[in-house]
Amino acid sequence: MIDIQFVVFCSKHKPSFCPIFAKDLLLTIMNKIKALFCVVVPIALAFLFNTKLGNTPPLLKFLDPFMGFWQNAENNHFMFNHKAKIKGATDKIEIVFDDRMIPHIFAQNDHDLYLAQGYVTAMHRLWQMDFQTRFAAGRISEVVGDKAIEVDRYQRRMGMVYGAENSLKGMMADPKAKEMIEAYTEGINAYIKTLSKANYPLEYKILDFKPENWTPVKCALLLKQMSAVLAMGSDEFYMTNILKKFGPEVTKDLFPDYPFREDPIIPVGTKWDFTPLPVPKTPESFTQALTGEVKTKEKVEGIGSNNWALSGAKTASGYPILANDPHLDLTLPSIWYQIQLHAPGVNTYGVSLPGAPGVIIGFNQKIAWGVTNVAADVLDFYQIKFKDSSHNEYWYNNQWKATTKRMEVIKIRGAKDEIDTVYYTHHGPVVYFQKPKYSRANNVPVGDALRWIAHDQSNELMTFYYLNRGKNYADYRKALTFYTAPAQNFVFASVDNDIAITPNGKFPLKWKDQGKFILDGTDPAYDWQGWIPAAQNPTVKNPSRGFVSSANQSSTDTTYPYYINWEFSPYERGKRINDRLTAMSKATMDSIRLMQTDNYSILAQNLLPALLPLLNNEQLNATQKEALSYVNKWNKHYDANEIAASVFEIWTKRLSFDIWADEFEVKGIPMRYPSRDRMVEMILKEPNAPWYDNIHTSKKESLADLVNESFKYSCDSLERRFGPINKDWNWANVKQSNVPHLAKIPGFGSKILQIGGAKSTINALGETNGPSWRMVIELGKKPKGHGVYPGGQSGNPGSKFYDNMIDTWANGQLYDLFYMQSADDKSGTVISRLKISK
Amino acid sequence: MVFIVIAVICFFLQMIAPWWVIIVISFATCGIIGKTGKIAFWQSFLAIFLLWIGYALFKSLPNDNLLAGRVAVMTGVKIWWILLLLTGILSGLVAGISGYCGYHFRMAMLAKKTDKKIA
Repeated sequence: MIDIQFVVFCSKHKPSFCPIFAKDLLLTIMNKIKALFCVVVPIALAFLFNTKLGNTPPLLKFLDPFMGFWQNAENNHFMFNHKAKIKGATDKIEIVFDDRMIPHIFAQNDHDLYLAQGYVTAMHRLWQMDFQTRFAAGRISEVVGDKAIEVDRYQRRMGMVYGAENSLKGMMADPKAKEMIEAYTEGINAYIKTLSKANYPLEYKILDFKPENWTPVKCALLLKQMSAVLAMGSDEFYMTNILKKFGPEVTKDLFPDYPFREDPIIPVGTKWDFTPLPVPKTPESFTQALTGEVKTKEKVEGIGSNNWALSGAKTASGYPILANDPHLDLTLPSIWYQIQLHAPGVNTYGVSLPGAPGVIIGFNQKIAWGVTNVAADVLDFYQIKFKDSSHNEYWYNNQWKATTKRMEVIKIRGAKDEIDTVYYTHHGPVVYFQKPKYSRANNVPVGDALRWIAHDQSNELMTFYYLNRGKNYADYRKALTFYTAPAQNFVFASVDNDIAITPNGKFPLKWKDQGKFILDGTDPAYDWQGWIPAAQNPTVKNPSRGFVSSANQSSTDTTYPYYINWEFSPYERGKRINDRLTAMSKATMDSIRLMQTDNYSILAQNLLPALLPLLNNEQLNATQKEALSYVNKWNKHYDANEIAASVFEIWTKRLSFDIWADEFEVKGIPMRYPSRDRMVEMILKEPNAPWYDNIHTSKKESLADLVNESFKYSCDSLERRFGPINKDWNWANVKQSNVPHLAKIPGFGSKILQIGGAKSTINALGETNGPSWRMVIELGKKPKGHGVYPGGQSGNPGSKFYDNMIDTWANGQLYDLFYMQSADDKSGTVISRLKISK
Repeated sequence: MVFIVIAVICFFLQMIAPWWVIIVISFATCGIIGKTGKIAFWQSFLAIFLLWIGYALFKSLPNDNLLAGRVAVMTGVKIWWILLLLTGILSGLVAGISGYCGYHFRMAMLAKKTDKKIA
């Protein structure tokens, strides 16, 4: 048909040109294709380089010097004064930045103070605040896609959002706390509003997402995350398996309720000046536990902290000195943010958590305070008997009780939303019905409900509100009553020469060992049945020894009438602190500073005299003999250049493995090892314990066999890694301390730091975990503060204030903190000012 | 001419517009005033190569290339000025290709129009 028309058309017009005309038509089509191609290629390029592919950021969007990462390069050489208008501000606010970029806020009222704190914290740390609260809320898949789905499910199923929502109710019920949170939120959002795409923090550009507005629940999420970091430890699943495998006798022997060696926080013999409540009766039954396919892990000592205060009687100035160094996972940006808050009725300086208003650890004109973690047992699992597989009802107090359902909608980048249904009993959420492949979930028993203090209403912010404004011991005691979790040892010193320490939090009133094993969820006798009254939490004021201290060890001796936990952190750090403080007199800032970086190992002091005689010198090869001579000469300090420290560390780790692995690592039954304290006790006092024998061999091994094997193992593994003994064997090189980026982005972390310290020494510095803030406060007519953290004020890797304090920290030095008396205080260096008005 | 037009327009537009305006501008400029395919490609390439490198240096030099050094480690190129070159070459190539496409788009369209006139 077409052909005919074409022929007719051709014959009517210039018939002789017809073949060329056909060629023209072809050309036209070719040109159309060409034109189309010319349009498609540039569009394809735009699309290709504007899309995030796997882990690669959208390439040209990222490299664009007008809006991409180059924009985050801050000018190192010029600082300017700025002005800003915030609608919510009620009066003039001035923020003064000192030469380390630390903000000093001068406001006319509380509302403006917290508004400015929110504003300036967001200015330096927006991405960190956003990312940490997204992590807490189980919203990482929203940013990185389905690879984070197990992380998100875990956060949701552990009830993080549920807990934050409850907690927020508690905070919003208090008008003061409500004002603080709302002003802080307003400040953050006022800053977000000023941002254009070009000045989004760098990580948004790398991960290719946008800042979102702050909400009050995010403050609650952040505090819940601190609870998760500090008070989510749970061994009851492992302990239940141990109980089932070895029976009550062995369990009691290897996992005692009080350590062999201890130096408790409240000095032994302190009298309890209260009449205790009756403690609930222990039920006469034990529970069965379900097991899953998880490998036993040696208990890693990670989170811990030191704090202490000396009374004026032991210092050169006659006024108290207070010190604190919380040990946490070290990251860049730093977990802490230094700030000074000045308004009528308050002038406080210290560190805050980006995402929460107020100062957490710090000082003011009259008092200083600090915290370390209390390993209280505030997390329990209950075995639940469901009626059927619908999980709609469960057996409790001899009747069926209904569960409630909570739908968790998990948004996933590049995929459909996932709706995860979590069943709640009156205890709390049933975390898993099936074991996920996710390491943090290893200690969670399947089918059990979680009772966790962090799910309860609380209002911790008020503790810090009152401490920030505290003037004396009475104010300190009052502030502590507001605190729920994570429980902390609050150390205190005042210019009136009072010192005190209180392991403080909301502690459930439990029968002894309640929660050491998985609890029976059908019997009300296993429920938490009340609380230890806040006034009866262990506390001591002005003890005769002239100092108070804590290092996460047992809160009290065995005379305390209530049960807090059966196991705390090992005692070595606390012992060393108390030994040194006892010997100290006329203390100055420097003697305390040097103590914070003390690397002496009490563990080595206790173990070496028992281990060294067991070594059979004749069976050692040349390298092993040389290593032994280093250990023999060792001063027991985990200093950076100590070869013996490397040998000893791997030696004792391996020894622990040799003793316990054969019994406690059983496929399909996840368990944990007995404590280090119990191992030391056994080595020193039970030379013939049955546990030395390796049950997988026909030979009967003795302690000496294991000591020799582990010593050789240590030397051989070091030799394999570093060759014959040389400076690569140095402890700092073996340990490889460094401060990584929060999202582990390569190039954004610190270099490897050549520094000493170890988990069991006062300077508890591991590979990427350790003193996250070192502070020493000298009280007096005008308080003098000193402090440092391994990082900087700015969260921007393109700022010189991102990691400028790391070297000072690594060298064991402290900065003098600029505690300003007014916005015009000339006694320190000021680099810029920000004036905020309505 | 193409070089100056693209460089100037892109410089101002990029203050507010996303990076892909370099594609639009190169394409349009060469589509309107491009003389040959070669000129379209190379002038677009050079305009954006220099504009991006110049502006990146303007931000990076006062920073002592601290950030560029970190990002270079992140991306695996290790050295900051390689990252800078990469920024210039990649954006230049995209602009060059767009300019080249713009020029040939016009040629294709013109050819079509001529055809119609003949017909």
